[in-house]
Amino acid sequence: MIYDKNYYLETFNVTEEMLRRLSAEGLDRGGDYTDLYFENTTYNTLFLRDSEVSSGGFLTDYGVGIRVLKGEKTGYAYAESTDYSAMLSAARAAASISQGPSLSRGGELADSQVAKLIRDAKDRAATYTPIEANGGRPMRRFFQGLPNPAADRYPMQNEWRKAEIATFIPYLKSLEAAVRARDERVVKVVATLSACQSDILMYNSFGEMKYDTRPMGTLSVSVVFSKDGKIENASASRSFMKGSEMLTEAIVEELAEKVTNGIDERFEARRPKGGKMPVVMAAGASGILLHEAMGHAFEADFNRKGQSIFSDKMGQRICPEGIYIVDDGTMKGNRGAVNYDDEGVPGQYTYMVEDGVLTSYLHDRISAKYYGVTPTGNGRRESFRYAPLPRMRNTYMESGDARAEDLIASVKKGIYVDQFSNGQVKIGEGDFTFFVKSGRLIENGRLTMPVKDINIIGNGPEALKDIAGVADDLKIDDSAWTCGKGQSAPVCCGIPTVLINNLTVGGE
Amino acid sequence: MVDGMIKEADILLAKEGMQTALEAGASAARFTINRSCMDLVGTLNGEIDKVNHSLDSSMSIQLFVDGRYAAFSTNRLESAALKAFILKSVEMVRIMAKDEFRKLADPARTEKGAVSGKELGLYDDTYDSMTPEKRVELALGAVVFDKCSSAKCKIISEEGEYNDCVFDTIVMDTEGLFCRHTETSFEYGVEITVQDETEAKYSGTWWDATPRLKDLSISRCGAKAFEIAEAQTGPRPRRSGKYRMVVDSECSSRLLTPVLNALSGHSVQQKNSFLLDSVGKKVFGDGMTVMDMCRTHGETGSRLFDTEGVATTEHAIISSGTVNEYFINTYIAGKMGVKPNIEDAIRPKVMPWPKPGMDREALMKLCRNGILVTGFNGGNTNSTTGDYSFGIEGFAFKDGKITHPVREMLITGNLVTLWNSIIGVGDDARLCKSKLTPSLAFEGVDFSG
Repeated sequence: MIYDKNYYLETFNVTEEMLRRLSAEGLDRGGDYTDLYFENTTYNTLFLRDSEVSSGGFLTDYGVGIRVLKGEKTGYAYAESTDYSAMLSAARAAASISQGPSLSRGGELADSQVAKLIRDAKDRAATYTPIEANGGRPMRRFFQGLPNPAADRYPMQNEWRKAEIATFIPYLKSLEAAVRARDERVVKVVATLSACQSDILMYNSFGEMKYDTRPMGTLSVSVVFSKDGKIENASASRSFMKGSEMLTEAIVEELAEKVTNGIDERFEARRPKGGKMPVVMAAGASGILLHEAMGHAFEADFNRKGQSIFSDKMGQRICPEGIYIVDDGTMKGNRGAVNYDDEGVPGQYTYMVEDGVLTSYLHDRISAKYYGVTPTGNGRRESFRYAPLPRMRNTYMESGDARAEDLIASVKKGIYVDQFSNGQVKIGEGDFTFFVKSGRLIENGRLTMPVKDINIIGNGPEALKDIAGVADDLKIDDSAWTCGKGQSAPVCCGIPTVLINNLTVGGE
Repeated sequence: MVDGMIKEADILLAKEGMQTALEAGASAARFTINRSCMDLVGTLNGEIDKVNHSLDSSMSIQLFVDGRYAAFSTNRLESAALKAFILKSVEMVRIMAKDEFRKLADPARTEKGAVSGKELGLYDDTYDSMTPEKRVELALGAVVFDKCSSAKCKIISEEGEYNDCVFDTIVMDTEGLFCRHTETSFEYGVEITVQDETEAKYSGTWWDATPRLKDLSISRCGAKAFEIAEAQTGPRPRRSGKYRMVVDSECSSRLLTPVLNALSGHSVQQKNSFLLDSVGKKVFGDGMTVMDMCRTHGETGSRLFDTEGVATTEHAIISSGTVNEYFINTYIAGKMGVKPNIEDAIRPKVMPWPKPGMDREALMKLCRNGILVTGFNGGNTNSTTGDYSFGIEGFAFKDGKITHPVREMLITGNLVTLWNSIIGVGDDARLCKSKLTPSLAFEGVDFSG
């Protein structure tokens, strides 16, 4: 949702002249670029436990982060108040990344000094020199940006902030009732509604101003089941960048079905015999493997520093022809959608792999400057307390032309996985591990014994090469995926049914 | 007074806030004031790469109104804004269902001796004189980019971070509770990525943290990270099977944490625990004794009180395999009809066994042959069954000595079975962590790869 500019200036009690002066303060010791990120977030939660909505609450978080860049180096500080003096202290702390002398010498910058600092930095940041004495790397511009407005990818019909919180309680009760109606083995139900709304205002030393209001609603449920003295649990969630219109009886029913679906198999499931075997990943939530095992290694900061296994593979074939992997910030209402990223760069549809060839990393402004490319709108941050980093948005593989049932039928002995969790990757080595919450054995082309609580382990580049088939059934999974990279970010993922040969499956 | 410390004005604001809440209809309230300040200097390949300055303040508010309860938090600590926030909060509590078990902690159980915040000796006065220049000197002084080399590999990147911070917390309630905890922390961490002659990359990380700057082992971190990265070059596969397993103290907390989670009163009350009905029973092997060493003076992780203000005690959580308690706060005690204690393990320590003084090398000698696990890569534990599966990295060892690195391996089993097959507990827990888990040795663990 996008209000008019004055709403944001009033929310943060600032003027454009103040923003310009703060930008100049950031440049005062020789910085190339300053940006300011204002945030006003309100966050409501309601919990249903033991059949009652008897706890919940809300929080407010308000402040401004100020970043100064000097080449690829970052100075960062923030203030939890938008009093000019507090912001000035933060700007000066961030400016210390540049070690040059201060024009202001700790005092107030004169108008002429503000103008000079901004003008000189613009020239500096825009200077293009093919090769400088910078390790032989080309020196590029900072991305100057595009004008407002961006597309509104998360309009709200009913704002969370304006809604009566009490009106949400019946949805939590309906959810519990729907879960219990589906399965008499239910022992405990915890249902949670989280509703967040953030006003964001961004300004940089190019004079660009970007702003939007970001909603995020998440409905989740966790259920404990008991059968013949055995206990199992399951959880499910749905999360969207939408207002409270996302709360419907349909989403309640969908969640209840998702959390109870397959519980019979979980009670019956066993650990299979481990070893190397083909793995068929079900469409949808298996996309988390793509996020962890490949997506992180495509983030440009890891590549810029030479840490990623893909850092010298740009332009090379890394998987079979016909495979396209995308990071999409443009899907309306999706948890990974961005009008602008957290550096004011428009959200985009970014191909990382096209027809099997690595064609782009995911860039923030720093890495884009380093590589001499346009930033891809992946500069994201948890809040004003954090400097932005290259982060994924909604990462998925596009559909292929196989049929899911044919991929399964082609496997003599292997595993079919429909729920992963707790994935982890080693960026340098490319090794990844995923915990399989549920799946089935594949024996002679047929799904047989349910399996659970095992791990799948592999190596990103090798797994990409070993992709043997991609089905035509891409599914985006709208669960509340949150990516951690020293700071959290809401993301989304998806995948069509995919067959990978030769992954290691842990077992008895 | 340094930035990041709670001021008298903050305490007055909290007192005003409690009065506002009571006047608006609350029967009780608990306010937690938090302030912190952190400065960070990051290096990349021997040069300063980033500087961060963080100054945080917030107030967490728990309100009890008409037999109802809700929790709130704000960082807008101006008097008028806070008053409006509290009035809105009281109204929100009224939409909740009544819950008779929500109440403040019994004053007889709360801590009375945490007044200055510095009673545990976790505040280093050196912090007051830290300067940006000193931080840069420390960060650059730790760099090994041009100093470490090996015939086996070369350094691709070295990313280091030095930071120091102060945390200050006060918990107050309308029954007169006042508890303060103040601590400083000095930390350095580094990740080194190396490349061998086959162009394969390996990374190693090492870090240290301490409440006192003089105790920070900053100079050895880079060399240690390089050593870890270099040691991983040339991994060889290891056949799947049952092996004795030694787990390094750097990562062994991964095997204790799910056990402690299963002892949480919240998990037990929600039947979401593999340790239901375990109190008083011998569930684990003789070698598993876990003490909560939460009031040890001057050590990372020590606390005199929990988030309710309840006084901590040093005691045994598990004694020779017998579970002594669940972690029960005031609310869960009411729900379960049992006595409350502390809401969580504060500074748990797995005690040495069968003899003191062993480290991972001694445990490898004890085991003779097996696999040394030096890190976990992904995996999970089923909280209702205790079944686990973790990716691991580490080394095969023979006759007590490391032979070669292994990779792409998994361990699979059940935590109750695992802790029943313990054959040795070291005495080498890292003091920079709040969970004191030393190196551990287990019999007959399923490895696959």
